[in-house]
Amino acid sequence: MTAAPPAPTVRLRRSAGVPLPGARRLVRLELRRNAMLWLLPWAVALFGLVAHRTGAAAPPLWNVRAMSMQTGALAVFVPTVIGAAAWMGSREARLGLTDLLTGTARSRWARHLASWAATSCWALAAYLAGVTVLYAVVARQAAWGGPLWWPAAVGAATMPALSALGFAAGVLLPSRFTAPLAAVGVFVTLELSLQLIHGGRSPLQVLPVVAGPWELGTDAGVAVFHPYLPDLPVVQLMFLAGLTAALVAALGLPAGSAGPRSRRAAAAITAAGLLLAGTATALAGTGRLDEHGLIAIPALHSAAGDRPVPYTPVCSTTAIPVCLHPAYTAYLAALAARLAPVLSDVAGLTGAPVRLSQAATVYEQGPGNTVEIRMAAPRIGGTPPVLHFLLPVQLAGPTMTVDQAADAVRAEAGPALVATVIGDVTGPAQAAVTAALLGTAAPAADPATVAAARRFAALPPATRHAWLLEHLPALRAGRLPLARVP
Amino acid sequence: MNVEITDLTRRFGRVRAVAGVSLQAGPGVLGLLGPNGAGKTTLLRTLATVISPSSGRIRLLGRDPGAHRQRREIRRRLGYVPQNLGYYPGFTVVEFVEYFALLKEMPPATVSRAVASTVERVGLGDKATAKLRTLSGGMLRRVAIAQGIVNEPELLLLDEPTAGLDPELRVEFRALLRELGQRATVVVSTHLVEDVGSACARVALMDRGRVVFHGTPAELSARAEGTNAAGDAPLERGYSAVLAESRS
Repeated sequence: MTAAPPAPTVRLRRSAGVPLPGARRLVRLELRRNAMLWLLPWAVALFGLVAHRTGAAAPPLWNVRAMSMQTGALAVFVPTVIGAAAWMGSREARLGLTDLLTGTARSRWARHLASWAATSCWALAAYLAGVTVLYAVVARQAAWGGPLWWPAAVGAATMPALSALGFAAGVLLPSRFTAPLAAVGVFVTLELSLQLIHGGRSPLQVLPVVAGPWELGTDAGVAVFHPYLPDLPVVQLMFLAGLTAALVAALGLPAGSAGPRSRRAAAAITAAGLLLAGTATALAGTGRLDEHGLIAIPALHSAAGDRPVPYTPVCSTTAIPVCLHPAYTAYLAALAARLAPVLSDVAGLTGAPVRLSQAATVYEQGPGNTVEIRMAAPRIGGTPPVLHFLLPVQLAGPTMTVDQAADAVRAEAGPALVATVIGDVTGPAQAAVTAALLGTAAPAADPATVAAARRFAALPPATRHAWLLEHLPALRAGRLPLARVP
Repeated sequence: MNVEITDLTRRFGRVRAVAGVSLQAGPGVLGLLGPNGAGKTTLLRTLATVISPSSGRIRLLGRDPGAHRQRREIRRRLGYVPQNLGYYPGFTVVEFVEYFALLKEMPPATVSRAVASTVERVGLGDKATAKLRTLSGGMLRRVAIAQGIVNEPELLLLDEPTAGLDPELRVEFRALLRELGQRATVVVSTHLVEDVGSACARVALMDRGRVVFHGTPAELSARAEGTNAAGDAPLERGYSAVLAESRS
């Protein structure tokens, strides 16, 4: 310690405003020494393990993967960001710096804002990096469509809100236990709150981890044939903006946090933020399950969201083409392979459809939390006739591989396809031919029918087809005895 | 006068930590002596605008700390080193001092130079980039002093600043105090009367929340004459004599 070197002459500024360069340097300093920075590896690992791997298991559809950035990814970030922010918020009191810092010119609110901003920046950077990686992967895998930005925007807006929530908890209850307790508490509360969502009208849909009808989850059938409705994301963004503003401004309310003018501004911002968040929550409560599978909010709904998205289907080169929405191109080859034999058999026969075409889904809220999902088109419709079917992924069912999905479609659409030419099974000859064409056991246990089905299935395809061309009217009319089946 | 206190009282519930203190101080080093619980730290916290007085009048650097704008001006010109130093363990020495320079709203253009020279000044040049968690107690004390003086304060408040410093550093610190006292008002609360003897132009002795003596170190020493006050040095004997007299 020495008195020798002359200190630089310091010229004090007289301006009452917060000098921006100084504030920026403060944020830069906070960025360098922020708890969120040290939790980034943990967040990245959790994101890779939970969000990315789960997302990668889902079909490579933009809607599913993008919505997972709100559901799975946010679940990873909630405890991490809340914990880091609470740790930062409790820092001054926890480390015994309150007196020292109170005696400085810059207000406590300004200090807190700098620390909160730095925490939010890291959280946001981590989240956006996650979005970038996930979207880059989907861009390589997805056959149709483009990034959905609404879920990413909601996720991004959640970061400063979580940071504000954790920071406020840390400031209010400065203890080393605040960070873990807040992280776990908010996570559990959030998850429990979701269980209270019933139907499409719950105000709790405003929570950012809800990316659509809660009971549907990230259903692969939505936001493909029709656009992704921005109604709920808009309300969630309103809620998050209001919550963030209210929490951050509330830090400036206590006496001594800032000057009188700043505190008045903080009070106004807090009130405005609460009003915005409250309005958003109320709007979320007016939501309803849209027939296209998303939450529509009447006050925000635009008719443009109900118009189908134009697309050119991708079709197989089978005897009867199988056509899918291009988003589901990955399923086409397996589906065509599974259906090719029966398509060859029935092609050109009277009543056979000219095309098998994937249909959109229609969603209807059932009692309680149930949702009925059905096809938007009739099974057989149009002139010339087209047979419509759904892929299992459109039905919010269990996750399936492409082959499993193709098998399921064959099991569901195959009988309908055969019925278009054979008609309803009323006699043993129809039962035997149907079973032979579908490659399944004859529905009746009659040994003669089973034997006839085996015989017919063993015939060369051309022979089968020629026989069907000749005998189809009698077979359809139920006038053909079983003995006439070759 | 940079410090003008009139009938200052500060209560914590029923306890009157500072009871009707009146004190004035201009440029120079004022030593604040007194036994544990005398109210020194409370008085310094009040002067540092950390807590507001329960009653009484206080003016610092010609301004009223009760008014927001004026308090902010005071804080820009203030240095404060509290008794119990808290610190951010993950910050380096330079970052910690820079943090306080920014909080004191120093002109951004001057911050880097001021931080560098202050870190050198407290003898931590070779530890400038060391994390605070790696420093010894004495080094942390020097960091605390560095943040207190980085803005070249016009009013510097030091609460037990030499606690934890080794004798060599304590001597250097006293030299620094004398140098700072030439331009600023420095109020040093200490238990160590040798600090007062070597660095302070004036001394105030507090007991039970009141100032029971205010004068020069020589005048304090003189109060022991003709008494049986305990102590190894004249100042210590004066200290004991004044306390005994105030309590009788």
